[in-house]
Amino acid sequence: MRVASALWTRGNPKEPVPFQELLPLKLRNSVSGKGDKTTEQSLCSKEIESFQKCYKDHTVRKSLKEAQEAKGILIPGEKKLSHKQLNKLLSMFPNIK
Amino acid sequence: MYNSVPLQQHALMSQYPSYYVKPVFKKDVQEEMIKSGEAQKLAHVPTRAALNDQTSSVYHDDIINVLINYVMKDGRKVLARELVEKTLEKIKRLQLERYHKATNIEDKNKIELNPRVIVHKAILNGKPLLQLSPIKRGGVKYQVPVPITDKRSQFLSMKWIIEAGNEKDRNTRFYDQLAVELIDAFNNTGRVVKRKQELHKQCEANRAYAHYRWS
Repeated sequence: MRVASALWTRGNPKEPVPFQELLPLKLRNSVSGKGDKTTEQSLCSKEIESFQKCYKDHTVRKSLKEAQEAKGILIPGEKKLSHKQLNKLLSMFPNIK
Repeated sequence: MYNSVPLQQHALMSQYPSYYVKPVFKKDVQEEMIKSGEAQKLAHVPTRAALNDQTSSVYHDDIINVLINYVMKDGRKVLARELVEKTLEKIKRLQLERYHKATNIEDKNKIELNPRVIVHKAILNGKPLLQLSPIKRGGVKYQVPVPITDKRSQFLSMKWIIEAGNEKDRNTRFYDQLAVELIDAFNNTGRVVKRKQELHKQCEANRAYAHYRWS
């Protein structure tokens, strides 16, 4: 009895619940094509190739830059310098004592 | 003279000093080097001995050698090589069976009978284009899609193929299952290709996190 009263704290729902037609009760004459995305890789081989080439070039450039930074070689136009590059630059223009 | 030859990276604990270069053991590469005059440069450079899986045999195959090394457990290379060779034999048998069952010539011509070609294409078909890497931002780990190097992609493909070969019931042999998986991957179907596509799907679902790679 206590369980039933606990369930009815928001009031006893009236049966039968009146039916409301929120959406029209009929099927559409079309389907969405969202489900069939292609997994065929040969269709976009050009894009895949350019993406992989881009990443490869990036890794090569990055490793080259890191090597130059480690050696302290100054790159013209470089804004972020390593400590070795900074020391080289500062030794070129020392403070006047 | 020594300075003209690029020094190659060597592993730690190598028996060779760093100026020893790696041997050129493939016949076609050697012939090319002789033609271009590059062989002359190497004539008096100290060279390492070839490893025992590096031969100038016509059956030498880089990718299959790598596959053998990935199959190997506890350094038992002879066993690993035997397993891969049995796999190649099984592939040949399965494809020949299909070949003889086919009735018309068009169907027969479509069937690939060279097991090495099948292995190569299967590994190529299993290679993912992206991978997910966990990156921590604000105390939460995000699975971020990042580009993948060719070597890692090939490793993942081979790993998935070997794992698929190991997933079997007790009565089937590893090499039989591996052969089936390789043929499936060659035809762009099966568990390995599905796993690759699942990874691609997950990468696409997590595309919103892609910028965490650099920010």
